[in-house]
Amino acid sequence: MRFTIQFVVDVLSLGGAYALMALGLVIVFGILRLVNFAYGELIMVAGYTMFLVSGSGLPWLVMAAVAVVMAIFAGIATDYVAFRPVRAKSVTAVLITSFAFSTLLQNAALLFISPRPRVVPLPEIFSETVQIGGVITPLRNIITIITAVVLLALFAFLMRRTVLGIAMRAAATNFTMARMLGVPANLIISSAFAISGLLAGIVGLLWIGRIGTVVPGIGLEPLLVAFIATVIGGMRSLTGAVLGGFVLAFIDTGLNYSLPQELLKFRDAFTFSLVIMILLVRPEGLMRGPASGQRT
Amino acid sequence: MNRNLATAAILSGLIIALVIVVEALGVRVYDRISIQLCISLVLVLGLQVFMGNSGILSFAHIGFMGVGAYTSALLTIPAQMKGMALPDLYPFLQDVAVSPYVGIIAGGLVAAVVAAVVSYPLMRLSDAAAVITSFGLLVVLYTVTTNWSEITNGPRTLFGIPPATNLPLAAAVAVAAVIVALAFRESRVGVLLRASRDDEVAAASLGAHVPALRWLAFVLAALLAGIGGGLWGHFITSFSPKAFYLKETFVILGMLVIGGPSTVTGAVVGTFLVTIAFESLRAIEARLNEAGLFSDQVVGLTEIVLALAMIAVLVLRPGGLFPTREIGTLIKQRRVKPKDPP
Amino acid sequence: MLEVAGLEVRYGAIRAVREVSLRVEAGELVALLGANGAGKSSTLMCIAGALRASAGSIRLAGEDVTSTSPEGMVRRGVATVPEARNVFPDLTVAENLRLGAYIRRHDRSAVAEQRDKMLALFPRLAERSSQPAGTLSGGEQQMLVIARAMMSQPSILLLDEPSLGLAPTIVDQIFEMIQALRSSGLTILLVEQNAAKALAVADRAYVMRLGRIARKGSAGEIRAATDLHSLYLGG
Repeated sequence: MRFTIQFVVDVLSLGGAYALMALGLVIVFGILRLVNFAYGELIMVAGYTMFLVSGSGLPWLVMAAVAVVMAIFAGIATDYVAFRPVRAKSVTAVLITSFAFSTLLQNAALLFISPRPRVVPLPEIFSETVQIGGVITPLRNIITIITAVVLLALFAFLMRRTVLGIAMRAAATNFTMARMLGVPANLIISSAFAISGLLAGIVGLLWIGRIGTVVPGIGLEPLLVAFIATVIGGMRSLTGAVLGGFVLAFIDTGLNYSLPQELLKFRDAFTFSLVIMILLVRPEGLMRGPASGQRT
Repeated sequence: MNRNLATAAILSGLIIALVIVVEALGVRVYDRISIQLCISLVLVLGLQVFMGNSGILSFAHIGFMGVGAYTSALLTIPAQMKGMALPDLYPFLQDVAVSPYVGIIAGGLVAAVVAAVVSYPLMRLSDAAAVITSFGLLVVLYTVTTNWSEITNGPRTLFGIPPATNLPLAAAVAVAAVIVALAFRESRVGVLLRASRDDEVAAASLGAHVPALRWLAFVLAALLAGIGGGLWGHFITSFSPKAFYLKETFVILGMLVIGGPSTVTGAVVGTFLVTIAFESLRAIEARLNEAGLFSDQVVGLTEIVLALAMIAVLVLRPGGLFPTREIGTLIKQRRVKPKDPP
Repeated sequence: MLEVAGLEVRYGAIRAVREVSLRVEAGELVALLGANGAGKSSTLMCIAGALRASAGSIRLAGEDVTSTSPEGMVRRGVATVPEARNVFPDLTVAENLRLGAYIRRHDRSAVAEQRDKMLALFPRLAERSSQPAGTLSGGEQQMLVIARAMMSQPSILLLDEPSLGLAPTIVDQIFEMIQALRSSGLTILLVEQNAAKALAVADRAYVMRLGRIARKGSAGEIRAATDLHSLYLGG
């Protein structure tokens, strides 16, 4: 029983984080059909902002808010620097410009801050522990689960109930037609990047909270998680991304628990192999995205 | 067919000219840079074989370079060195020591086999999914090489690889790579693959089984990458898994993108240009550090410039310097005066 | 109200629309006829802002709107219904309609009023209000896209081939609704291959052939013209 609770808590907290990471990536991909390689750097930006404001003496929540705002700005900047100039040219072009932009940001951090890890301030509650059904787990895990649930609920509300959300879903299906109804294209795109930045910023702080330091390459693992979760879930489906995140967390946690000690360091290789097998059976992913045509 | 021979001749001529000039000058540094350039050519041409024909970006390419490098190293490090370099090596590999040339070819073959096994499911994915999964593959290859200490010495440097790569060898392999890339591009597989890039349904109706075609291109690309890796291993004689990761991926991608992914000419020209630019920037970086203008070492400047250059090329000339036609075709077309449009 | 002069639209080196000039006065229903490939849709899409004009001008109530974006045209009161019935299949009928009112989204009561008017005009849509638009039949989807375009309360409606791919009885219903919209004072530019149906509701018509205007006149004049067949079939 204890083991089950431990497992469930681990999967839910990791899954929540993974789901948020994946969602931040899919929201841009769904509308623009373009992969944002600089997505991991949004987390890096949040982390370094925390480092840079750590001496200011402000309460942690305020610093965190500043960090998230910076991530949002960085998201919108990615659009202007890496996407807008080449969006019309080709899909490959955008992949490469966002990859180039990602390298640029990482090297900028390397150059202007430091290649060595920098400490990020964390609130005390992150290190506290709590007991559930006989299992001791960091409070941070519970916070992650709650944050994920809240954000996912807010996101679902945005997408289903607000005009902006409906417009974004429409733009994901048929961008030109949405414009022909008066939906301003640029606003939709900027909103997508801003939401992407918001999600990255928040999940980034939770993610960095596990280690407590930030390095230029910190965005790589979340980027990879977002990629794989998205591919599992079905490239353009928002629900799929969330589902993919939980599936990936389930696989990762399961492997963590079941691999023998000497194979544990190869966990990522095993995860990837399992993912490939899923893709062998279902190359389009678990969920179909928005339809791209009409009936007749 | 004539224009393809022209292209092959011009590009090979470029490489051979490089060798002649460098040998004549006899400056050691130029020799080193030229060998690096030829090895880069092999890698970029391999990438062009897959990316140029299928239209799909592959981030995993450098991972296969690593596979080739480590395979060749394992097979060629002399037995006594192995005791020191790879203390935990499996007994059956302990006494294996073959000639570097065999090792390099073996490296290519092992890389091709790994690619063949791992990649087939990926070939059925949609374009974007294939790209990001290839990225995952790179990371996984990196994780495996970093952690499989028995055969790679883990994250630490593996040393003791016998030197064997000189400029004539590297150049010869580069010329061979040019010919292979051109031959593939114009072969039935290559042409069908490029057709599928533009219209998958139409190509399928011609009998093209797209995943199979992509797979063939991917395996050939891995073969070239593995050979390039072997060559590089015997040039640099010691390396660690970090040499086959993101930075190197970024550089070869830059070379291909700037030159033009769709053409072999683009791959070659891009490699030449970026190598020259890179070395010049490195020299500048070194001078700046020597002069002590900045309090810390100036690192990462080269990558930033390359990133900006890539973005600039993609904005101004998205297909690269040679977007669609090989140099042989361009020269032939110059000779024929175009008729005025009706 | 709408004045197009010397319009040219290119697809690469091909000129799909050449030196097209036409006029639509307030309250009129003008038909733009012609065979497949004559350039009618390209003309309409260019007016709507979705295609770039390589030459010529488009004026709306005197204002030059040649290079206005699609969003901009909607804000100026020009609503477009492209061919191919682009409903958003995963959005419900209600959500599709709500999106049509995007530029008026702040005036909730006006939007609700317009929506009720549309649902009264198209009762089949009211029945299916919370169904995903992708599950509707072809005729219902055509009604939806027209209703959706009307949600922005435009002064001009650009309609591209509403009868395409629909059964004759459904086509009759659609044209009844177009007639009803016209009677309410809406200005309409209608692109159609079905000349008979279009001429029955139109005031004036232009016939296009190979990218140019080949004939123009009142609906009666065009209907009487015997070379309509040759204009359609070539020769």
